[in-house]
Amino acid sequence: MSQPVVVQGLTKIFFDDARGEVRAVDGVDFFCRAGEIFGLLGANGAGKTTTLRMIATVLAPTAGTALVMGHDVQREAEAARRALGFYSATTALYPRLTARETLEFFARINGVAAARVPARAEELVARFGLGDYADTRVDKLSTGMKQKVSIARTVAHDPPVLVFDEPTVGLDVLNALEMQRVIAEFRREGKAIIFSTHIMSEAERLCDRIAIIHRGRIHACDTLENLRAATGKHYLEDIFIHYVELANGDGGGTP
Amino acid sequence: MKVDWSAVAALFRNEMRHLLRDRRTIVVSIFLPLAVIPVMLFSSHWLEQRRKARLEQATFEISVEGSQAETVCSLLAEAERMQTARGEAFRFRETAVAVPLAALAEKRVALVLRGVTAAEALVAPTEGADRPERGAGRAGARARGEEREPIVEGVPVVEVLFRADRDDSQAAATTMRRLLREVRTERRHAVLVAAGFPRDPATVLPVTRENLATSGQVAGLTLGRLVTALLLLFMLSGGAVVAIDSLAGEKERGTLETLLTSGVGRQEIVLAKLLAIFSVALLIAVIQVANLLVYVGFELIPVPAGFAAAVPPQVAALLFLLYLPVTALVAGGLLLLSGYAKSYKEAQLNFFPVFLLGVLPALAPLLPGVSLRSAVVLVPIANAAVAVKEILVGVFDWPLLLVTLVVNSAAAALVARLSIRALSNERLISPAAAESEHVTGAVAFQRHVLRNFAIMWGVLLVAAANVTTNADVRLQIVINLGVIFLGGTLLMVRAYRLDPREVFALRPVRPVVWLAVLIGAPAGLLTGVGVFQLANHFVPVPPEMMEAFGEAMLPEGLPFWQVVIFLCVAPGIVEELTFRGALLHGLRKRFHPGVLALVVGLVFGVFHTSLFRIAPTAFIGIMLSAVTLLTGSIFPAMLWHALNNLVALGAARFGVPLEGLDAPPLVAAALILAAAYWILWRTRCVYPDLRPGRGRQ
Repeated sequence: MSQPVVVQGLTKIFFDDARGEVRAVDGVDFFCRAGEIFGLLGANGAGKTTTLRMIATVLAPTAGTALVMGHDVQREAEAARRALGFYSATTALYPRLTARETLEFFARINGVAAARVPARAEELVARFGLGDYADTRVDKLSTGMKQKVSIARTVAHDPPVLVFDEPTVGLDVLNALEMQRVIAEFRREGKAIIFSTHIMSEAERLCDRIAIIHRGRIHACDTLENLRAATGKHYLEDIFIHYVELANGDGGGTP
Repeated sequence: MKVDWSAVAALFRNEMRHLLRDRRTIVVSIFLPLAVIPVMLFSSHWLEQRRKARLEQATFEISVEGSQAETVCSLLAEAERMQTARGEAFRFRETAVAVPLAALAEKRVALVLRGVTAAEALVAPTEGADRPERGAGRAGARARGEEREPIVEGVPVVEVLFRADRDDSQAAATTMRRLLREVRTERRHAVLVAAGFPRDPATVLPVTRENLATSGQVAGLTLGRLVTALLLLFMLSGGAVVAIDSLAGEKERGTLETLLTSGVGRQEIVLAKLLAIFSVALLIAVIQVANLLVYVGFELIPVPAGFAAAVPPQVAALLFLLYLPVTALVAGGLLLLSGYAKSYKEAQLNFFPVFLLGVLPALAPLLPGVSLRSAVVLVPIANAAVAVKEILVGVFDWPLLLVTLVVNSAAAALVARLSIRALSNERLISPAAAESEHVTGAVAFQRHVLRNFAIMWGVLLVAAANVTTNADVRLQIVINLGVIFLGGTLLMVRAYRLDPREVFALRPVRPVVWLAVLIGAPAGLLTGVGVFQLANHFVPVPPEMMEAFGEAMLPEGLPFWQVVIFLCVAPGIVEELTFRGALLHGLRKRFHPGVLALVVGLVFGVFHTSLFRIAPTAFIGIMLSAVTLLTGSIFPAMLWHALNNLVALGAARFGVPLEGLDAPPLVAAALILAAAYWILWRTRCVYPDLRPGRGRQ
């Protein structure tokens, strides 16, 4: 059986009058297994977000393909979206809905049967400890509670694939750790998780495999142990710099 | 396209829930207008009643002066006698004052009656510090459409001097004029009778006026002229509350990306949002109309005497049916506006021009003689406005009512489709795509070009209204072409630091292109006439529109060489630099070439501000845009444009009515035009840097 997420030759070119063609993502290949956290590690502007937005069907690829549970993100966009949950620091919640209404709404529009929606919302309220705040409007919740509602919203329809785009940006240490704990829990449930970050420690701690992305291209993709063996360096930060310098040397530019 | 209606329902419920929980919006958009308008109307009505009552009961102090003061006093005595005989109170009291005009200025008297000889009346009055504005009594009267009565030598004149800036003075002057005229008529009749006139002079040659329209039809005409514009105002203001929050607000909050990454399709999202805007716009329109009816019922809003607009239920249902696609179109337009704005604030800024543009077609019933059985039936919103007016006066043109419904429904569907496309436009929905742009002069020009042309259009309208209305045609052309078009265009080139050779497409062309232009320009003009004649068979085209083709504005007394310079050469050069130069260059990446030619042509048409010239000039503009796109150069369009005007002028000068031509020459012209375009196509040197096709993206 094919992997939950398969990305082949994914390319995104923006047209810019000042710079001409901008290859934000340039022929990216990777896959993500069920029960695996696949990390996309790169600096700001490396192409992580653009890659994940193509997988989430927000942006259309210029070339290449991405399959989510076998659904092509261009030809079967809705089916692909129903099979994934997308979370990023920029995906916000409706401020005037309560936590419970938010979960019910996203469960419903993601294809959960109408009769099952209230029960599913209740499950999520219990799982993420939202009980006391379930009927509080989102704009009245604390940052931590909003984060929980946001994660619960992402998995409202229990998708097999989860995409987290720099989920800890803007969070304090405790909330960031809580986020990492929840993501690890989803892995145990067998979900295929794509996780982008520029924070080395997060990638080290969470990811089963790591792809180092720089200037829209993946320059290395393996387990942390194999990356250490291939570069002879122990720390992920050193491994990352090693590949970036290599890429810049090949490309003849500066980072 | 299969629509998931359960998802649409869930999205719609979410939209409405989110809206209804925004207390500030509800208060500002619904409760405040509902509460404030009655209070305002009630207060103004009450104050007006009080003012009237006070003036009706007041006795006005007046002063009489002048060499013929005695005549005035005798007139006043007679007026008092007449009023007393009718059982009315004479409410004027003469007061002796030293300087009557100063007393009027100091509010010690309400008016001054000045009896003078004809010779004195003909002398221009001297203006002084204490002198009341004579204009208030003379020019002011003319401004209200009253004519100054002729002064006859030997006959005394009574001048009623008053202050139009004072209620009491104005009321006193109005009553006094009426009384003096009654006295005059009485005296005139007495003189006639004394001279042996055989009967009562008041009964001579009675003129009667009989209105054959029912009171309902008369009221229907009044109502029908304005009701659509009024409803549109309510719909636009009500729908905008939801629309702006709907897409622009979602973008700003970040909830749009959450929605776009969910399992629901974009058409469902747009449909739900459209439904929400549609429902709110309709609801607010209904509430406000009910509100107005309540005010009318309580007589807070005065209606004309005998106003009896009766709308039977079946007519009301028909009107409602006609307004449904209009509401959908309004909702679609508002959603599109919101979709193209990157933030809430930007949507609010863009709302005002859309508001004005939206209401404009609803004013179509105010055009004299406009009927649904004309080209107006093809203009969305305007057709519904005219249809409603006709229905309210009892005219039911069923086939064209059906066309109206179809046209507005199609326009609403088209706008909805554009909204779905806006949700797929990566530059509008994705910060990553938007951030990839670096705004340079050329990019900024492309973004601002339509806005800049809208400003230019505004300047043109202001100039047309204030400066050039009665000016010499040469001055008009210098202002329009030289100052507004050329000046505005060069200003843009300079402000955005553009390369004039690129902007104005100053490129050489192959020699064979000139042949195509020489045969194409006259053929194009005649083909335009033919197209509109053909359209006339299906939908009546106003004769003014047909005449606009031949209209050459032939100014009298201008040598023909000047006519050629000002009306052929100058427009050929300047209008081409402006429209097929700057405008086409600025929009070249925004639209696909076919749409680009249409848009540039339409804008060109709109700049010819006369209503009936818009369609013919837009037709020519589209042809000229196609020529520029096929040749990649401005020069062929310049020659084509100049030749087009020359042929029209020549026809007008030599008395050849283009609109009266028969089918054979028109068909021949169409074939020649096709041949000209075939030459241009075969030798094409396409305009560079056009919007890439889907394949290239």
